Amino acid sequence: MPDTYILGIESSCDETAAAVVRSGEQVISNVVFSQIATHRPYGGVVPELASREHLRAILPVVRTALAEAERSYETVDAIAVTRGPGLPGALLVGISFAKALAYALDKPLIAVNHLEGHIHAVLLEERQKGNRDVPFPLLALVVSGGHTHLYLAEQRGQSWTYQNIGHTRDDAAGEAFDKVAKLLGLGYPGGPVIDQLAPHGNPQAVRFTFAQIKHRDRQQRGAAPERPHFDFSFSGIKTAVLRYVETHHMQRVIDARRAVLAEIPKPTTEDVLRVSDPMTLDLVASFQNAVIGDLAEKTLAAARAYDAATLFVTGGVAANSELRRRFEEQAAQQGLPVFFPSRPLSTDNAAMIAAAAYPKFLSHDFAEPELSAEAGAQLR
Amino acid sequence: MATGEFTTHSPEETIQLGHQLARELKPPQLVVLRGELGTGKTTLVKGIAEGFQAASQDDVTSPTFTLIHEYRGPSVNVFHIDLYRIDTDRELETLGIDDLYGDSNVLLIEWGEKFARFERERHVEIRFRRLGENERRIRVSGL
Repeated sequence: MPDTYILGIESSCDETAAAVVRSGEQVISNVVFSQIATHRPYGGVVPELASREHLRAILPVVRTALAEAERSYETVDAIAVTRGPGLPGALLVGISFAKALAYALDKPLIAVNHLEGHIHAVLLEERQKGNRDVPFPLLALVVSGGHTHLYLAEQRGQSWTYQNIGHTRDDAAGEAFDKVAKLLGLGYPGGPVIDQLAPHGNPQAVRFTFAQIKHRDRQQRGAAPERPHFDFSFSGIKTAVLRYVETHHMQRVIDARRAVLAEIPKPTTEDVLRVSDPMTLDLVASFQNAVIGDLAEKTLAAARAYDAATLFVTGGVAANSELRRRFEEQAAQQGLPVFFPSRPLSTDNAAMIAAAAYPKFLSHDFAEPELSAEAGAQLR
Repeated sequence: MATGEFTTHSPEETIQLGHQLARELKPPQLVVLRGELGTGKTTLVKGIAEGFQAASQDDVTSPTFTLIHEYRGPSVNVFHIDLYRIDTDRELETLGIDDLYGDSNVLLIEWGEKFARFERERHVEIRFRRLGENERRIRVSGL
């Protein structure tokens, strides 16, 4: 099998990214242009900024990815692009660009589901390390600002199938990090700042409890018995943090902190620590501890229920250091091998899109010329 | 039902109220949902979307990150919109909410009160207030 070079393009949210990956196993180049600086004053992703920034960034980002890979448009074998889920306007920038490129170059176009990309980010890096032995069934937790999903993945020949066995019923885990950081005056994005502050607080200081999610009996209509689901809920903990702030009269301290941090262009951990009182640090540590505990507990229960042979934890929240430590510790107790992407491949990137496209390239699973953005694309 | 005030004592009761509201809400309809974080706005949407047979309650999730969620039912489509992070009219315009106005569509907008146009254009307003751990006061006006 000759080497296959795939150019991947990703623009589903606030990162414009392009990458060249060889045969699904070697990152040749990986360029990510982040709009986080643009979004920071808004405390979240603003769609109009997102699509405008993607438009501005896409051409230089693709050119840089090719230049770093020492490839030209002519010497890549296929173009892969994220089809969804994501913000429609943002997705369209990547899709329109990829379609035009594939058409002009007469190269195959491959559409990739963003969540599938996150799963293949892990596989790509394992292969890069020489680990080709990833036993199935494979359970993947995809956890980010917009997603908290559990998938059971299987491979038959070159084609991958995914079964969703759990998802959030309300807020994504990363959204809870962002909202809690915002309401505590810690800025955006919430994940890294909470990760850095948490070791300075007591994770047992505030008790958070998660409601037991009732999995309603879906078998009533005489259908075949469904396999168990492991759903998440992170709306309650966000509300609980808000209540804690109210009942402990933290608002004035929070407003002061927000004002100080707004004056600093790029606040460092030390800057944030200087304006964080012990009560805030304890709250942050307890919040993080509770969310990670819940993610780990349900994911490992799902792994037992489905007899998973391998666990992947991927997506932006997988960059959290305490999450990695906790999953490693608990998976080891169960004798379950657990793999994470490196930090650059945890957050949105295009190498994962190019990697997920490789099996589709081999099975000639190419996109139709009518390919369009699918904001709510499901992974199957 | 028309205008009314309801007290629910659990998320399940809030969802039940959503089922009832779905019977009263005749499209086209623009509904503004007003209430602080964690007062049950998304929970009520679960009930409304389920009442229109547009989605199962488990599949209705927060649109904060994705901004607009669309649930298609046999006769009515439900659009759940979250403007929590939208601050300017320009940003709002790019969401293309005007394109969603339609004879078989019900628009449920969280944080719509941030924009004067929704205060003018809304048909129904639902206000949420937290009374206790699980108790919520839900006031429906304009129906």
